[in-house]
Amino acid sequence: MKVPEKYYDEIFEFKGQWEILSKCGLKIVNKGDKNLVIVTELYQDNPGTSVTAAGYSLLKQICEEKGLSLPQIVYLECTPDTNSVLSFYDEQYFEVRFNDTFQADYRKLSKEEIVHILN
Amino acid sequence: MKFKLIYPKWEKLRGQTTFNLPPHGPVVFAAALPKDVQISFTDENVDTINFDEDCDFVGISMMLSTQVKRGWAIADKFRKCGKKVIFGGISTMLHAEETTEYADSVFLGEAEGRMEGVINDFKNGTLKKIYNFMGKHPAIEAVGPARRDLYNRDLYNHKGVQMVDLFHASRGCRFSCYPCAVSYLGGRVFRPRPIDKVVEDLATIENNRLFVVDNSLAQDKEWEMQLFKEMIPFKKKWISHTIEDDPKILDLAAQAGAWYVYQAVYDTSEYIKERIKRYHDYGIGVEGTILLGLDNQSEDDIKRLIDFLLEIDLDLAEFTVMTPFPHTKGHDDMVRENRIFDHDWDHYNAGQVVFHPKQMTADKLQELYNYAWTTFYADESQESKMMRLFTKVTMREMEDGTYRPRDRRLVNKSFGKKVTKKI
Repeated sequence: MKVPEKYYDEIFEFKGQWEILSKCGLKIVNKGDKNLVIVTELYQDNPGTSVTAAGYSLLKQICEEKGLSLPQIVYLECTPDTNSVLSFYDEQYFEVRFNDTFQADYRKLSKEEIVHILN
Repeated sequence: MKFKLIYPKWEKLRGQTTFNLPPHGPVVFAAALPKDVQISFTDENVDTINFDEDCDFVGISMMLSTQVKRGWAIADKFRKCGKKVIFGGISTMLHAEETTEYADSVFLGEAEGRMEGVINDFKNGTLKKIYNFMGKHPAIEAVGPARRDLYNRDLYNHKGVQMVDLFHASRGCRFSCYPCAVSYLGGRVFRPRPIDKVVEDLATIENNRLFVVDNSLAQDKEWEMQLFKEMIPFKKKWISHTIEDDPKILDLAAQAGAWYVYQAVYDTSEYIKERIKRYHDYGIGVEGTILLGLDNQSEDDIKRLIDFLLEIDLDLAEFTVMTPFPHTKGHDDMVRENRIFDHDWDHYNAGQVVFHPKQMTADKLQELYNYAWTTFYADESQESKMMRLFTKVTMREMEDGTYRPRDRRLVNKSFGKKVTKKI
């Protein structure tokens, strides 16, 4: 269940819950005045916390590490297609917004939106 | 120092045969405690907790999500009496944030080589709120024989028949199965115990029947074959999860005493049919484990799957509903889609639907779960099918001289309670 490299430009190491060393795929796409930050779950190559469970903490660590400003970010979580026979591992993208208490609100992107974002 | 170790009870699934097996986690943990610590163990599933028992420090070991609320309540009671309480175990790790609210201390991770420090902190009055060893696994060689001497054996006996002893030969898992949190808990690297350590542990077990609780033995062929070779002289009969689908390994497993395996049945393919047949060809029984409510299952798919189970000659079947346990992909997916409607951990028993399935209502899935149990066991009850498997193992034991008759002292007792005979 290896995640294809097309999903990310780099492997980003972060501190997961309970400070477990964790890894995700990271792609940052500049779209004018916005930066699309796309984090991809790596499954077997992530030794720690998933991108979904890491939530706001992961976004904060990426901003600090990459010198990005939070208000200028569109944050996307990607569950990649791993070529598994199991349909639970199909490709999906979600836009994630965090409220004042850092709780996440997810919106699944349509195929058209995904194409638009990645091209 | 007196350490009171407790394994909280949980409500068993309605309508199903209940067997209380001696729990594994607490006795593996107990083996990591310093030698001078005097341990008293209570498994609340078969015994009553004496809150007035003389002790210095209380440990609560939890495996299931359905134990956590009870564990927290037990801690409350002890702490009101002025006792310090530490939590550990699998479901402590899964529910760590909440558990800290009910604990003096929470231990996260594997205990080997770490308890000396915790006990010293307790003695010095410097107990930490959290001992965080998540992701920092001790050397697998450090895992010693479990403290099975702590069990009150008579309480794990049903009408004179001793329940199997639980045993583990490895930790960690290289697979990332959809509903499973093991790779989060034990790491994504398979960590087999050295064979000499496994043999040392096995030699301490008096019971002639085991449940090898490793998540999957099918992770390292060479080690697996070595393990089975070394198990042959012990002449024990055992249950396990999946064994490698390889004739050489299946043959060795059978020689080593494989009694029956838990095998996931996730579709109606020829592959599954053949897989079950291959186990049977080697004299190994199969209990199918069937997870219902996955996103790719419609009502028709589930009904077809149940029909299929009746065709493939399974010895037993165990049905569960998809349950989004924390730190699983299943949980993440449902959180993103806002599909979890029940957050009461007592309901996370894999028999109660706590989420909105994709292709049906939650009520319909609940109904299909009940239908699955009823339909599979319509012609022959679960007890009767179990008895057939039991008879097979006793025949094999008689052949190799390891059979032990029922304990006559306990024929009128079931897990410590008097059996009322139906007339």
